Amino acid sequence: MTDILRSWIGGALPDWLIVLIAYLLVTTIVLFYAVGNFIMMVWAERRVVARMQDRLGPNRVGPAGLLQPIADAVKMFTKEDIVPRNADRWVHLLAPIVALAPVAMMLAVIPWGRGWEPVDLNVALLYMVAVSAVSGVGLMMAGWGSNNKFALLGAMRAVAQLVSYEIPAVTALLTVVILAGGMSLLELPYMQAGVPIMGATILCGDPAGCSPLLYSTITSFPGSPNEPVQALDLGLGWWVFTPVGFLGFLVFFIAALAEGERTPFDIPEADSEIVAGYMTEYSGMKFATFYIAQYILNFALSALAATAFLGGWQGPGVAALANMGGPWVHVAAALSAFYLLAKIWILFFVMIWLRGAFPRLRVDQLMDFAWKLLLPLALVNIVSASLMVGLTQWTSAQWGGLISLDGFAPWQRQLIAVLVTAIINIAAAYWILAINQRPKQVEWDEEELIAAS
Amino acid sequence: MGQYQSPCLVLCMNTLITVLFLIFAALILTSAIMTVTVKNIVHAALWLISSFFGVGALYLLMEAEFLGVAQVLIYVGAVSILILFAIMLTRDLEGSQNRQLTPRWWIALIVPAALFGLLIVPTVMTHAWQLPPPPPAGQPPAISGAQQIGTAFMREYFLPFQVAAILLTVAMIGAIVIAFEERERRRRVLTLVEQVRLRQRQQQRQQPAPRPEPAATAVQTSEATGGET
Amino acid sequence: MPSMTEAVPLPWVLTLAGALFCVGLFGALSRRNTVGILLGIELMLNAVNINLIAFWRYLEPNVVAGQTFALFVITVAAAEAAVGLAMIIAIYRARQTVNADEVDSLRG
Repeated sequence: MTDILRSWIGGALPDWLIVLIAYLLVTTIVLFYAVGNFIMMVWAERRVVARMQDRLGPNRVGPAGLLQPIADAVKMFTKEDIVPRNADRWVHLLAPIVALAPVAMMLAVIPWGRGWEPVDLNVALLYMVAVSAVSGVGLMMAGWGSNNKFALLGAMRAVAQLVSYEIPAVTALLTVVILAGGMSLLELPYMQAGVPIMGATILCGDPAGCSPLLYSTITSFPGSPNEPVQALDLGLGWWVFTPVGFLGFLVFFIAALAEGERTPFDIPEADSEIVAGYMTEYSGMKFATFYIAQYILNFALSALAATAFLGGWQGPGVAALANMGGPWVHVAAALSAFYLLAKIWILFFVMIWLRGAFPRLRVDQLMDFAWKLLLPLALVNIVSASLMVGLTQWTSAQWGGLISLDGFAPWQRQLIAVLVTAIINIAAAYWILAINQRPKQVEWDEEELIAAS
Repeated sequence: MGQYQSPCLVLCMNTLITVLFLIFAALILTSAIMTVTVKNIVHAALWLISSFFGVGALYLLMEAEFLGVAQVLIYVGAVSILILFAIMLTRDLEGSQNRQLTPRWWIALIVPAALFGLLIVPTVMTHAWQLPPPPPAGQPPAISGAQQIGTAFMREYFLPFQVAAILLTVAMIGAIVIAFEERERRRRVLTLVEQVRLRQRQQQRQQPAPRPEPAATAVQTSEATGGET
Repeated sequence: MPSMTEAVPLPWVLTLAGALFCVGLFGALSRRNTVGILLGIELMLNAVNINLIAFWRYLEPNVVAGQTFALFVITVAAAEAAVGLAMIIAIYRARQTVNADEVDSLRG
């Protein structure tokens, strides 16, 4: 961005001003992109859920109801802003801002397309997790500042859920850190080039005979001593196709559902129990701010899941277009941005689908699910991820002479690693599921039951 | 930056960093002072969060990215949430208007003020710090980042790392044990299955069982199946 | 890129940390509410961390010791907050108060 601006404006402005303008422009574009997606998401959710429930959904304003979100926004803007008399004014006012700001900050580190990365932070994954945790403070402020029992209950539920589901989410993301050898989001899509399951391990035998349409230069694992190689690249070496990535993706996506307060995990705002949770006392724009924060959090978490496990902007044709050079690089960037957006929307569709399909969990079910199912699976997955890296990247010296895989070709090592991790993960998943499904031997202590009822 | 490096850039950036440092310092100190002086304990906790943010920003300014993010994750995301939870679980509404400071708070003021004015400032200002020479121009200084920290934790700080892990586990178990309520004092909530089973047994015995209130039963039933509504 | 070491002298950072420590100390000494005391302690721990990071950045930027120490301090602070708050909740449950002055049954 800075370079484009420089070539346009040239020497007319001092350099620091150009840098500043570039940053502001990128920020504006990303925020508009997110808000535009938010508007479409609201419309899509209402229409899709309506279809699943055999209704029509909004269909009056504009073609197929497309302008309905705009009408809603106008209504929100013009609504009266109500603050309860006994509310803590400042906390009540700041809460929506504190809830929205960190969520918007999450968007800064996501690589939106090939070469379209707003900020390259070398601890980007940790940053995403940390910043998303901050919005819990905003929810707490909303619940406390409203001076309303429903709001406080909702806020405490929301924050308890947020904090407990952060643990499986972070543990699932750790597998990505192990596989990538770093916490930078920028490099994740580049590392997920290649073909399904095998990744970028099918090498080109003869450098002259490999078409740049099919093969591209892949820099291998950062810790490995290997040189960059020419590998078969269809843009489909997504980690979700490997056993480690698949389990990690499942755990992370379920945890993301809970963090984004989507049904089946919408206990914090269960409208049939506690009105609207922490949002009870909010109206007009403040309510809309919470609403935006929630959808953009879902959007950002979907983008994170897509980048970490589904290859991010990686897809068929991107590498080929980029290899053609010249203006085609920009076409490749646009295509890659489209791929990421498509993945985000597919994940969001799954979220809507789950909302249409599942009833709400109880609190104890919620906690059982996180601690007895997701966390053990994620922990086993970390072992598998370490084995995966060890089997594909380590030399026999690093193994301490225990295992020697030096003689094998990369694709053979990848195949061995996939098989070993698949066995471990399937066995662990089967065992953990079996433990959880074993019927509890409940002692029917009658006296106790009578006393309780 | 390359060829665009201009003398102003360095100078402007230095000014910018100084200004940023002063802003963060003001944020940290104001928030800290508000934390220890405001009456309302929830406000104090919120000011503390703002102070934590300032410290995190200061770490980022000092190019300790991992520490800055960890500060936000652990202090803002976990510790302050824990504090807010504790405040709300121990809240007595009438007590919040009481005096928050001890009667002899001025003694408590003198000690830190003396410590700051007589000990810290003179020492810090007069000590000759042996700063390493700045790196040669055009070459980024060698700063240890997240990767070096990870390596250090696995090599020379391996034992402290394990001890920290054990400490966290012990703290977690201890916190649960201390804060856990006695079983008898908690009201047992029957699941739907238990309610049905109980009623069946009572009917089998043909006793005039103490039937629960119909309204209460309805509420409990709808709660147990609440997800389907 | 210019860095903070050139723009801000080390004593400024240390003075900031010292001031933060003293404010935290005042809070820990003067609050009646136990949670308030805990807030003061957290401020003091943060001041120590600022010092550790400042010494790391200004004096030994290529040695990780400063950062690892700060991480250990954060770990201990988290553990301390968890146990401390659990104790506060337990005391509240037993005595219906969170005032440090009123929890004095060990006084002779």
